[in-house]
Amino acid sequence: MMRFLLAFTLLLSAIGSAAAGEILARDPNHDYDPPVPGSYSLPVIKVAPDGNLLDSNGRSSSLRDLTHGRVTILSFIYTRCAAPNACPYATSVLSQLYRISLEDEALAKNVRLVSMSFDPEYDTPKRLADYAEAMHDASSGCEWRFATTKSRAELQSILNSYGQAVDKRQDPTDPQGPLYHILRVFLIDRDGRIRNIYSSGTLDTRLVLADLKTLLLEEAKLSKQ
Amino acid sequence: MKRSLQFNRQTNMKTTTFNHWQLAAISRLIFIATFATGLSLWDFLRADETCSSPYLASIDGQEEFVYVWTLGVEGLGDGADKLATVDVKPGSPNYGKVVSSSSVEGRNEAHHGGFTDDRSQLWLAGLDTSHVFIFDVHTDPARPRYLKTIDNFAATTGGAIGPHGAYALPGRVLIPCLSNAKDKGGRTALVEYGNDANYIATHWLPTKEDAGGAANANLADGYGYDARVLPRKNALLTSSFTGWNNYMTEFGKMTADPEAMKHFGSTMVMWDFHTRQPKKIFQVPGAPLEIRWAWGDKHNYAFTATALTSKLWCVYLDDKGEWQAKEVAPIGDVKGGVLPVDISLSADDKTLFVSCFGDGKCRVFDVSNPLKPKQIYEKQIGKQVNMVSQSWDGKRVYFTSSLLARWDKKGADNEQFLRAYAWDGKELKPQFDLDFTALKLGRPHHMLFGSTKVGQNRVKLASTN
Repeated sequence: MMRFLLAFTLLLSAIGSAAAGEILARDPNHDYDPPVPGSYSLPVIKVAPDGNLLDSNGRSSSLRDLTHGRVTILSFIYTRCAAPNACPYATSVLSQLYRISLEDEALAKNVRLVSMSFDPEYDTPKRLADYAEAMHDASSGCEWRFATTKSRAELQSILNSYGQAVDKRQDPTDPQGPLYHILRVFLIDRDGRIRNIYSSGTLDTRLVLADLKTLLLEEAKLSKQ
Repeated sequence: MKRSLQFNRQTNMKTTTFNHWQLAAISRLIFIATFATGLSLWDFLRADETCSSPYLASIDGQEEFVYVWTLGVEGLGDGADKLATVDVKPGSPNYGKVVSSSSVEGRNEAHHGGFTDDRSQLWLAGLDTSHVFIFDVHTDPARPRYLKTIDNFAATTGGAIGPHGAYALPGRVLIPCLSNAKDKGGRTALVEYGNDANYIATHWLPTKEDAGGAANANLADGYGYDARVLPRKNALLTSSFTGWNNYMTEFGKMTADPEAMKHFGSTMVMWDFHTRQPKKIFQVPGAPLEIRWAWGDKHNYAFTATALTSKLWCVYLDDKGEWQAKEVAPIGDVKGGVLPVDISLSADDKTLFVSCFGDGKCRVFDVSNPLKPKQIYEKQIGKQVNMVSQSWDGKRVYFTSSLLARWDKKGADNEQFLRAYAWDGKELKPQFDLDFTALKLGRPHHMLFGSTKVGQNRVKLASTN
């Protein structure tokens, strides 16, 4: 429980201490200007795989429902993660995008954020509901959905299809959390196709925002044709 | 824990209710947590081999295996290209021995390879056939298991051929190529595949006619060789070599043909990594080959060596924030046919190993001042030497001998080996020597490190340890 509190505190501080004006600034790890949305293309990587989920209300659903109909940012996380540059960082990026969507109608209407847990034993629907409540106001801004799975078998199928490596640490009391994992965040277009994959070094709010806007501009261009 | 929340009317969003001293305390907590683990972003991104992609999951501790992508030799063993696995685990009864070998179909001009970012797969490329062979190195790192072959490379990529290696990017690999199917010259491309071997995109190197908006378009030659990323600057740098027509021709015949010798790359290109758009072209005469970005978090530079002119070059960010390329040191006597072919930069950015095919020597430079390298050591490795790979801690250095099947030396000079050395900062001391001809394996080329500990530690990309 203490580890969870630390993880949660780290996450909240990462989110809460970021002033709005700082969100889009350079930092030493992302020391460049982001591209102009629409000035580049994002090739299709592959169709976003499906799977069986539980939402934060405990209802069964499919991952496909969360990867179609809106431009989606899908982030694999676990809430006990206390590694500052892993899940807390990924969720802070999603939180920044959510904040931006509060003042950007196009993003609010067209973007969905998904935080998908790979720790179903701990991240129950109830815990995810509490987590979700702390993260956002469901009545405004873009969608932000939180999901877990009924079983490890259903989870593993999803992890394999997305290439999300997760292993148990040898020391389950490791202060960084009990799981090893690579950081994986996916950009998925409205038709359910993966268009970018972010990891350490490329998960930069400014780049993700440029990519989201690029896909929305692409849709607008295609609709005119 | 149920956290108290408040509603911010201005932004219509929930915010935390920390006051200033609480925020300051939390900031200190993050700083302490980060400091206590001794981590920076580069630690998360670092790899065990100093020349690997920063996106690659790292090995925990010392490498246990060296994977050697080996060219088959007609009449030697089964004659096929193969992945040889050498045990380098300290204390192992098999230390310094080949513990497994997996042959692929035929001879493909085995050249370079690379892991996927989670280090579960090893992709091995053939310059002649453009086949890319994919092995599982996660299930049993001592015995890589063949998974599949990409055998439609030219058709799928729109005409790129000569895949030179595989460079790990998040969820995908970047394959810099050397040639094209149309005329088999040096015009070529960067190709991207997903980790499950699905084709994603082809990015052609800029030419004078189609420079893609890059500065110095008049210099563009369209050639390619290596491709490396500096993530925090969103910078992708490429170098240039020559096409299929040359690298598949006997060395003596090619060098005697003045027309053939005109067809070598003399450029490097700086790209916007995220958009994959070329931004600036540099003139770097004499076939700039391997690229090594510095690792230091304020070191905005990369090294390369030019094979035909025997020079070290540095590509660096100047005081005005502009990328520049500069010749910084000679590598031996050009007329002596030194032919620098591979470089390896230490993790502390202070020492650069340069392997020279022509005279079989390794030259070591102090590159503490990247614009003024000084040679500090040299050693005869063999009668010919090609690749040099250095462990992250800088204590072990491995060399292989083969450059290209038709460019390797003939007769008694055609030594084919993997030689391991210990480096103490002053000299290279032999550890073991494997004769790949006596072992009936072939011509050893690219080396990559493996370990049984990767699966437990691949999270180093993002998490900690």
